[in-house]
Amino acid sequence: MERRSFIRLMAIAAFFSPRMVSKLGAKELPVVGVATGVDHSKITRDAIAAVGGMKRFVKPGDVVVVKPNMGWDRTPEQGANTNPLVVKTVVEEALKAGARKVKVFDRSCNDPRRCYVNSGIQAALKGLNNVEVHFIENERFKKVTLNGEALKEWELYGEALSANVFINVPVAKHHRLTGLTLGLKNIMGVMGGDRGKLHKQIEPALADVNAVLRSHLTVIDATRILTDHGPQGGDPADVKIMNTVIASADIVAADAYATTLFGMKPTDIGVTVAAAKRGLGEIDLKKVRIMKV
Amino acid sequence: MKRAPSRISQLLFLLLFLALFVTTDYRGSDELPAAVNSFFRADPLLLAACLLAAKSFTLLLLPALLVLILTMILGRVFCGWLCPLGTILDLITPRIAKRKAPSWLAGNLKYGVLFSLLGAAAAGLNLAGLFDPMALLLRAMTFFVHPIIGDAARSGWVGLYRVMGDSRDHLAPGYSLLRDYLLPFRESSYPLAVSSLLILAGIILLERYGSRSWCRHLCPLGTLLGLTSRLSPIVRSPDRVCNDCGLCGKVCPTVDDRKMPDGEECLRCFACDRVCGSGRVRFRFINPLRLRKRPYLPARRVILGGIAGGLLFARGLRWKSAEARERLLRPPGVRDEAEFLAKCVRCGECMKVCLRSALYPATFQAGIEGLYTPLLLPRLGYCEYHCTLCGQVCPTGAIPNLPKGEKEREVMGKAVFDRNHCLPYAKKSNCIVCEEHCPIPRKAIRSRLVESLDFSGRRVSLMEPYVVEELCNGCGICENVCPLEGKSGIEVYAVKDKTPIAVAISEKPAAKGKEDDDPYK
Repeated sequence: MERRSFIRLMAIAAFFSPRMVSKLGAKELPVVGVATGVDHSKITRDAIAAVGGMKRFVKPGDVVVVKPNMGWDRTPEQGANTNPLVVKTVVEEALKAGARKVKVFDRSCNDPRRCYVNSGIQAALKGLNNVEVHFIENERFKKVTLNGEALKEWELYGEALSANVFINVPVAKHHRLTGLTLGLKNIMGVMGGDRGKLHKQIEPALADVNAVLRSHLTVIDATRILTDHGPQGGDPADVKIMNTVIASADIVAADAYATTLFGMKPTDIGVTVAAAKRGLGEIDLKKVRIMKV
Repeated sequence: MKRAPSRISQLLFLLLFLALFVTTDYRGSDELPAAVNSFFRADPLLLAACLLAAKSFTLLLLPALLVLILTMILGRVFCGWLCPLGTILDLITPRIAKRKAPSWLAGNLKYGVLFSLLGAAAAGLNLAGLFDPMALLLRAMTFFVHPIIGDAARSGWVGLYRVMGDSRDHLAPGYSLLRDYLLPFRESSYPLAVSSLLILAGIILLERYGSRSWCRHLCPLGTLLGLTSRLSPIVRSPDRVCNDCGLCGKVCPTVDDRKMPDGEECLRCFACDRVCGSGRVRFRFINPLRLRKRPYLPARRVILGGIAGGLLFARGLRWKSAEARERLLRPPGVRDEAEFLAKCVRCGECMKVCLRSALYPATFQAGIEGLYTPLLLPRLGYCEYHCTLCGQVCPTGAIPNLPKGEKEREVMGKAVFDRNHCLPYAKKSNCIVCEEHCPIPRKAIRSRLVESLDFSGRRVSLMEPYVVEELCNGCGICENVCPLEGKSGIEVYAVKDKTPIAVAISEKPAAKGKEDDDPYK
């Protein structure tokens, strides 16, 4: 091929390709990867592979935020925080895909030191190069205009906003107010200010925040799920072992599928419904391609 | 001049005191790595006061007994070789110009102080810690110095962020090191911070009336050790400064004009021995049985008067306001207020270590007799469910050192909703932040779903919270996190019955209630 015609072809391709990709996307159903097994590292890798692998989300040189739930001074067995093995595997996958730096943090409810230690997440990530496990520093919160239904503006964590890729890694568990807490609610861990005030109108408020701070990938830890007395639990009798990890680029679809593990319908969870209405993803599992591994 | 061994020892112990101070914090393990309360456990004054006040002995204070025995043999070595406050005074005193001590200071005041403290202790009022040198030092550091240093470092760090933005990250490893090992983790300010500092400053200012003025003329611990050292079989001679060179009088920290200290005031620093060119200074062991009879104690009248005064005083300080009583929340494991007051030496260790800055020194909430005792103020900080640090650092067992499982069940108070403030009741809007945070596995705060009408007549589904009293341990997290501004919608109140939460209720499934609509039940 002559150089000139090659350049012309490239130019045409560049002009058409974004549109073509979006057209393809419109036809393609959102994919939810579901992996089951006792090797929690492996099922995490499998679930991510089922939705296209980490390379689809993380490009070499990216700064990646992995946001687990480590909000409570509870041990992994109690099912109130994300399984440290799941977190570690997600971090490792991001590094393997070429991430320059992976940052892991959560604005905890109990003492942050105890949460980071007793969740097992700090220890699990110890020694990994280019991984930062830092406590929240208030000066990093930035006021963000949301222009949402419930929230006009709110403080969000700077490192989450500036990251190239935001990976949401919640644990699936019961929550007294919202029914369940999954990916959409896990976003509260990067919110500043007085989060307790949100509870008055938590469903639209969470949709507002998720509409602005999008999770590029959601990996839901359902290895152990907390079926009652959430979000904190504490009683082993409330923990059900499911040995499941769910991954999706569509946070609503991931949450919708995870809801079924509790014997509920996706539409039972007001937070998911509000997010779907806002166009943040697909709540109807019939319109979702579920890849079981 | 070669460093004196006593000075080297002083500096090492001061360093140890500071090292233990910064170690008095959560460092990633449920158990503290060292006996951070060692100095207090080796304090005979606290031992005497606790024995008299609580009428019981705790093995925690065994080191204090050893110090007392050591003093009986060697004299006031504690003051000359160990006491961190004494060391600070020795380091500062060369910079302070001296003048003659006023007569009230040089007189029998110290015996009055010591014996009124012991008299009050015998009557059940343990105020010894208020005047204990190490407690004074620790309180000034905990309530003032350390928070100020922390604030300065933190605002510097935040300021760097304003200037550098995210490129501050390059410096983060250095700051993390500081924050993790030296600075207080949380921002906190304390009542009585300034007064704690002023008292310490006052003690330092006393140095203008001669070196070790506090130690010689006021310190109740020094006075107690001085009295004990009267039994010491070590005698120094000569007992006066020699007329020719007089060097001993210049180096002695406790010389009184030209009279070299006798057993009671001598701090056993041996400075006189080191400077004496003619070998006249001698420290001799003599047969204790042939110990020459020492003069009477300075004034028996003072001693008896002190004791009587202390006894009377103890009765007069009992008053506390009713409002304060209602909210008199003590650290976990404290069940009896009188016993607590008898044992607590107000050293400040529990307040230093408290993970969530939940403990604060009482100003007058616990009456004058409770000054500086730790109080849980839930609106400012709550008791972390799995944390057992305050019990670990208490040197006298006033706060019992309990294993996690037991501490979690100890009752500090009980939470009560105020329906005039609580959102679902007062504003007809959902909230339940308190229920979410309640750490009790079976939940001491629960809620029931009710259909209600809001104030504009619309139907609303509301989660109305309530307290399950048998399960509430009064940790105060509910009051702490209540999102209402101003008065919390739920508050913890003191209770007389502090029977721990029953194991059966907290660990076995509760009977299925209407509020449980979980599909797995």
